[in-house]
Amino acid sequence: MRKHLNPDDIALALSTLDVHDYGDVLQCMRCGLCLPTCPTYRTDGVETQSPRGRVALIKAVIDGKMKASEEFVDHIYHCLDCRNCQTVCPAGVRAGELVLEARYRIEENRTQPLIKKFLLNYAILDQKRLAKLLAPLKIYQISGLQALVRKYDILKLISDDLQFMEALSPKLPAHPLSEQIPEEIPALGVERGRVGFFLGCAMNLIFADTSRATIDNLNRAGFRVIVPKEIQCCGTPNIAEGERKIYREMAENTIRIFADRRVDYVVTDCAACGSELKTYREIFRKNPTFSGKAEEFSNKVRDVSEFLDSVWTPDIKLGPAPEIACFHDPCHLRHGQKLTSPQRNLLNRIPQLDYRELPDEGQCCGSAGIYNITHRNRSMKILQSKIEAIEKTKAQTVISSNPGCLMQLSYGAAHWNKAWNIVHISEVLNRSLRAGEKTG
Amino acid sequence: MNKTFTSRLEELLGSRKVLSSESELLCYSYDATPLTSFKPDAIVRAYNEEDIQKVLEFATQENIPVTTRGSGTGLSGGSVPVKGGIVLVTTAMNKIVEIDSEDLSVTVEPGVITANLHSAVEALDLFYPPDPGSMKISTIGGNVAENAGGLRGLKYGITGDYVMSIDTFLVDGSKVRYGTKCVKDVAGYNMTKFLVGTEGTIGVFSKIVLKLVPKPKTKKTFLALYDDVIDAARTVSTIISRKVIPSTLELMDQSTVNCVEDYSQIGLPRDVAALLLIETDGHPAVVAEEANVIEEACKANNVRTLKMARSKQESDELFTARRMALSALARSKPTTILEDITVPRPAIPEMMALIREVAGKFKILIGTFGHAGDGNLHPTCLTDERDLDEIHRVHEAYEIIFDKAISLGGTISGEHGTGIAKSKYLPRMVGPKAIELMRRIKACFDPTGRLNPGKIFPIER
Repeated sequence: MRKHLNPDDIALALSTLDVHDYGDVLQCMRCGLCLPTCPTYRTDGVETQSPRGRVALIKAVIDGKMKASEEFVDHIYHCLDCRNCQTVCPAGVRAGELVLEARYRIEENRTQPLIKKFLLNYAILDQKRLAKLLAPLKIYQISGLQALVRKYDILKLISDDLQFMEALSPKLPAHPLSEQIPEEIPALGVERGRVGFFLGCAMNLIFADTSRATIDNLNRAGFRVIVPKEIQCCGTPNIAEGERKIYREMAENTIRIFADRRVDYVVTDCAACGSELKTYREIFRKNPTFSGKAEEFSNKVRDVSEFLDSVWTPDIKLGPAPEIACFHDPCHLRHGQKLTSPQRNLLNRIPQLDYRELPDEGQCCGSAGIYNITHRNRSMKILQSKIEAIEKTKAQTVISSNPGCLMQLSYGAAHWNKAWNIVHISEVLNRSLRAGEKTG
Repeated sequence: MNKTFTSRLEELLGSRKVLSSESELLCYSYDATPLTSFKPDAIVRAYNEEDIQKVLEFATQENIPVTTRGSGTGLSGGSVPVKGGIVLVTTAMNKIVEIDSEDLSVTVEPGVITANLHSAVEALDLFYPPDPGSMKISTIGGNVAENAGGLRGLKYGITGDYVMSIDTFLVDGSKVRYGTKCVKDVAGYNMTKFLVGTEGTIGVFSKIVLKLVPKPKTKKTFLALYDDVIDAARTVSTIISRKVIPSTLELMDQSTVNCVEDYSQIGLPRDVAALLLIETDGHPAVVAEEANVIEEACKANNVRTLKMARSKQESDELFTARRMALSALARSKPTTILEDITVPRPAIPEMMALIREVAGKFKILIGTFGHAGDGNLHPTCLTDERDLDEIHRVHEAYEIIFDKAISLGGTISGEHGTGIAKSKYLPRMVGPKAIELMRRIKACFDPTGRLNPGKIFPIER
């Protein structure tokens, strides 16, 4: 546990919190409707691990009835930020956002460890820097060292956690996507508009092939795609860890970059990025000089499914995909962006695809940024429930649209020996589009 | 309390079952009852009967109170530890022990979630009707302890009508079983029925046998919209007087409709003064006949529009929206205080008129919804706990509402229980002799008053 925590300072910082911004803490009438949807309440079964519990804890600290102790801080970090509680709360209490606000107040009042400063205040500002940080992992994979290590369980001898992180790490592409493609890619056929593509860090550095498919799908739908290479991180990791200064700088930068490119839309294939980009308007709401630009930007942001569902014409040709498939809703899509139908509409258009709904749809997979590393045991329990839910559908293909979910589900499938094809929706759609072209 | 107390409890049960940190004590100091919070000294999560027994024996040695708790969704303060001591949580005892589809009964542990029981038995074409608003998280143990009702009460009755047998731990840790799986059982006093609704003041339930019925073959759902809330109330009495008992007959007034629509966005018209949600279920021929009577009754009472749900999904949406009513009302004001009066059905129009009058007189906002079909109304004050003057007026208004309900031959609580919230009004309703008798019964089971103290009986000052 980190030292230098001053409970009084944190309590003071929390006391100035404008609770009215969060659906009013007081408005929580403690009915408990959030309990059955909360992943941590489902795994732990105790009130401290529930949204109404977190609201009560924050309220108690604000009211001076409880100290902002180490225990309090721990509880604030137990939340996965899946926002399922906000989807189900009839009273409109924004428990998830309240937790993030509390994290911010906490982090402002304690010393930050160097590694965190390095990552959130420096590394994240430039995707080239991030790529260099991943270089050792790539050498490790290419050199065949990975195969040896995995074969002999070498890492287990050093540290169980290290072995876990190694198993979680995906296979990296030879080059980030930003180094493989030009900045502008023209539409196929008649041009219908200009789409700015927000190339998220994880998509660029890890899922390059997926984003290539996304761009191809956009081209095929008749859109010129502009991919600004100087783009920074969307800021989700910063917000999750209570960092806001660098976050605002990056957000401002992103808004300017896309304003300069004069695009009609900003599309992303990362659910987490999409959710964050859409909230930029809230961040700058109280800034008179920038709020208009932020509003304009957020209004243009679309998740890739949301966009394709709205622009695909009835005559689009799709090839068959004779398989059983299910869709795991990323929390950032379902609860963060309140999108449930576009991805289903698209998948249901694919001929012969036997689409099945997951039981308990809307439950988190436990990835939640770096939650699977910081709270591994609970994350694995949540993942196990998700794996069991997928199993019930008898799906062969598990589709999602967020890099964190894809990595977590892939780890889960390997761990519990499931031969599923775990894939981003862009790749499923791209395959069907290409097949449709051949037959059509 | 002191450290040795919790450490001894941990030694007895294992540390994972005992919670006692500052945060944990805070998070078990409340349930869904407004303005109510009392911290326990420790929380125990029972995983089996042995845990319950050990906790009760320990509490007897230490002479401390024990308050049993399920998911903590009660609305009368039943699971709030008014006098501290141990909160005994039964949510981890959540096994459905047996579904007897030959003899139509189900045996459950107290922590089974009501909605989970519904889906388990409905998969076998069986039906457990009680469906309290909180059924997605409420536990059967809590439902039995509070004798919870729900939307289907008027046709199918309430929790107590389905309880066949209960295994109960008494305050000293000894165990008794009352009741059997027999439909007929008149051996001795009917202690099973007595235990239902005792709010944790008599014993701790460890196993419950519930009666099941065949799942209704079909149903029809109606939404009736009114320009006057009194017309809606009259429709209720009309339907009943024409000898039709719908499976659901729910009322929502304009404030409630608007809050519900704010959250659910299913297209409820915001300008109506009231709406009724009506459902009839059973054999298709009967359902068709009853649907005709319902339609006529609505038309006879100036219904603006009457719509029938076209699909199961549409009907489910309406029911979900109704179940959200209380929580949705909470979105308009910081504090939501609701009551649970019930009156004979012909008196509903008079009761609704009084609620409207009182709200105007005391200048407070009251949203009313409820199970109008069984006379059970939930007038809900939307207020702010920081405005002491308004809170005072709210209490004054409720005094009048309670008195009126009693004078109409009604009750102060239809389904939420007495708890802390209504103990003040109980003597007024049942009289001193009845209170004295209840106290004597309580003393028989719990002479030192350690099981859920501060509930049902008005606190003597």
